[in-house]
Amino acid sequence: MTARVLLVDDEEAIRASLAPFLTRAGLEVHTASDGEEALAAVARLRPELVVCDVLMPNLDGRSVVRRLREAGDWTPVILLTQVGESYERSAALEEGADDYLNKPFDPAELLARIRAVLRRAVPGVPSLPAATVVASGELRLDRAARRVFVGDREVDLTPRASLLLDYLMTHPDELHTREHLLATLWGFGAVVASRAVDHRVAEIRRVLGDDAAAPRWIETVPAGGYRFCAPVGVVR
Amino acid sequence: MTARRWALVLAPLVVSAISCVVLAATMPGASLVMRASLALVPLWVGLVVSAVVGVVLGLRARRERLRAEREAALAAVAAEAGERGRAIEHDAHRRFVARLDHELKNPLTAIRAAVAGLAAGVSSGGPLPEVEQARLLETIDGQSARIASLVADLRKVGELERAELEWEVVDSAQLVAEAVEDVVQASVGVGGGTRRVELALPRAPWPLPPVRGDVDLLHLALTNVIGNAIKYSAPESVVEVRGSEQGGWVAIEVADTGLGVPADELPIVFDELARSSRTRHLPGTGIGLSLVRIVVERHGGTVEIRSREGTGTAVTLRLPVDPR
Repeated sequence: MTARVLLVDDEEAIRASLAPFLTRAGLEVHTASDGEEALAAVARLRPELVVCDVLMPNLDGRSVVRRLREAGDWTPVILLTQVGESYERSAALEEGADDYLNKPFDPAELLARIRAVLRRAVPGVPSLPAATVVASGELRLDRAARRVFVGDREVDLTPRASLLLDYLMTHPDELHTREHLLATLWGFGAVVASRAVDHRVAEIRRVLGDDAAAPRWIETVPAGGYRFCAPVGVVR
Repeated sequence: MTARRWALVLAPLVVSAISCVVLAATMPGASLVMRASLALVPLWVGLVVSAVVGVVLGLRARRERLRAEREAALAAVAAEAGERGRAIEHDAHRRFVARLDHELKNPLTAIRAAVAGLAAGVSSGGPLPEVEQARLLETIDGQSARIASLVADLRKVGELERAELEWEVVDSAQLVAEAVEDVVQASVGVGGGTRRVELALPRAPWPLPPVRGDVDLLHLALTNVIGNAIKYSAPESVVEVRGSEQGGWVAIEVADTGLGVPADELPIVFDELARSSRTRHLPGTGIGLSLVRIVVERHGGTVEIRSREGTGTAVTLRLPVDPR
């Protein structure tokens, strides 16, 4: 079944080049050129996913997500953020977008994110990145308050480790390379600085009491990266 | 009031009290009867009051004049520094724009030429030979990737300037050792064989003291500097990394016997996008050393470069020792 995707960008050049690319990749693509148009198109077409630029006239991308969520609409949204917007800043805004991608991006990377978000999405249900509290077995993460619990016990993580856990838990069952995690969470990617990710994963495992050899939550994928391997649910 | 002023105020009282005791002891019962013309009493009182008021006002005027002079001098220094700062900033900005222009115009020219080539093929009716078409597409792909990596690098600079630092006590010896290990690991397979990096860290009288900082960012800065040393030196040459304690500072020096930097380019190597005309053939956008500078400065440290073209380069990072 082809997924219906709404592409929202005020730049004609982006729509004209990205839409055919996504169509050829097997998606049913519709376009809108600003936020107001996007909201109307979402109501009319009921897309399974919205790819939305942030900086747009009339109504910007963030407001689109907020309006949708306020109306109880949980259509997944991938925001195309501008320069200097790391996941940390985006996530801090708590607007409930499902993923973020910095422009300029590799179109193949966008396609990979679209597929991952579509795979995770359950129609009509808030997705993990839009939830305030998520849990996996004994592990509970209060995303708004940045607090982590194992059973009844609250555990202490450094801010960056808690951000990493947040990202892994809200994007479970996906392989994240060290480079991708570094670029997304730290805001910079470097060929040799991926040790930073290993350090934080080791910290999370130590604090949560997770065993790398028989992981309950975070699994190391040899020569690949990391994956949150347990099922994650939204806590209401 | 200061202690000195209190002393001035109390001195007459102390002198008179001592005189009183001495007089009482040496001439008990003695008295002094003074006669003065009544008409002259107001004149004496007036004279004394005038003298006191005059002295007080005089002192205050002098104090105000001194303060005004001091403030004027300070303002002049600040204005001069501000102007110099603005001039330096303006200069750096101008150089940055010039380099941005330079870095953008080549890939853009190549892309436009390739697109024109493809368009000419379309409009002339006859399709371009497949090989030709593939070559033009490859140019567009490669050059747009080059611009994308430039934009990504500029974003890194912006991120690093604003990113919140996660402060902790960092074992500097371990930090340096890990950075060396990671760069050597990454160099395996690039240019064949493992690169040799000699690490010298003090053990006596005590090991390298810890620093305070964001371990991820410090690691990034160090791997950048060590990576540069490897990149700009011959595969068989040895890179030396030395750690030392100097006063309240941990100094980490990375030295190579590579290409070196021409003297006229030394003052700008820490600028964004600064690339030597002699290293343009090597990959990179010239952002590395400016990232190093930003990271080190945000930790209250300094970074210095010594270099001789054709001989080698030494980059020294200095970070304040953790005070506790």
